[in-house]
Amino acid sequence: MKYILLMSGTSAGVEAYHAWPKEDIEAHMAVLWRINQDLTESGEFVATQGLAGPREAKVVRGEKNGVPVTDGIFPESKEFLLGYWIVDVPNAERAYAIAGRISAASTNIPIEVRQFATHETKS
Amino acid sequence: MKYILMMNTMRAGHGVPEWPQKDLRTHIAFMMTLNKELRESGELVSAEGLSFPEQARLVRAGKNGTPVTDGVFPESKEFLAGYWIVDVDSAERAYAIAAKASAAPGPGGAPLNMPIEVRPIMSGPPPEML
Repeated sequence: MKYILLMSGTSAGVEAYHAWPKEDIEAHMAVLWRINQDLTESGEFVATQGLAGPREAKVVRGEKNGVPVTDGIFPESKEFLLGYWIVDVPNAERAYAIAGRISAASTNIPIEVRQFATHETKS
Repeated sequence: MKYILMMNTMRAGHGVPEWPQKDLRTHIAFMMTLNKELRESGELVSAEGLSFPEQARLVRAGKNGTPVTDGVFPESKEFLAGYWIVDVDSAERAYAIAAKASAAPGPGGAPLNMPIEVRPIMSGPPPEML
């Protein structure tokens, strides 16, 4: 079963992270790399990505004629997706365990765990 | 350049399963055509739909590293319903694709014009952090 582990945060949270001492950021990155490596070795790893910061986010709607209308102004409280992991695991508990490990590596930030819909489309 | 196009929804607004079947079929057909076009143009990296918010859990690490799960979310929380990752030449092209997905038909075949969040994907951590 495939699950996506979503890490979200606000703009203020991202700025606070960037203000961490360099060695703390390095230690944090090292643990995340280690988790990716462990998941690759166990065959559970599907994909992971970090997203560019909230400042580069745009929200797009289609106008009547199909022309995109973009907006980049968000409330301070808005949560943005910072990054995700996709894992292929035997059960939800295993997905929660991986999410717990990522959370522990990242100041106990909550990780949203969601199963892929069964009608998933693949490229 | 890779972009992620995210379709978000609130739990309250997640009424898709209650749509008339005909409208649901039209909507799904539209999405499948969009994915087919993106696959043919070589721009589609991946597209997935997620299960409904009822099955979502929020996980934190407990003291000894054991996962602590929570499934109670505020009514106003936005959930990711699905996403596309596209590899395109410019941000404008990503916005054009997002606009097309935004205008997917809803109940009665009317365009939903739902907001789609568009974000560049980082190719890796910044070099100074490696």
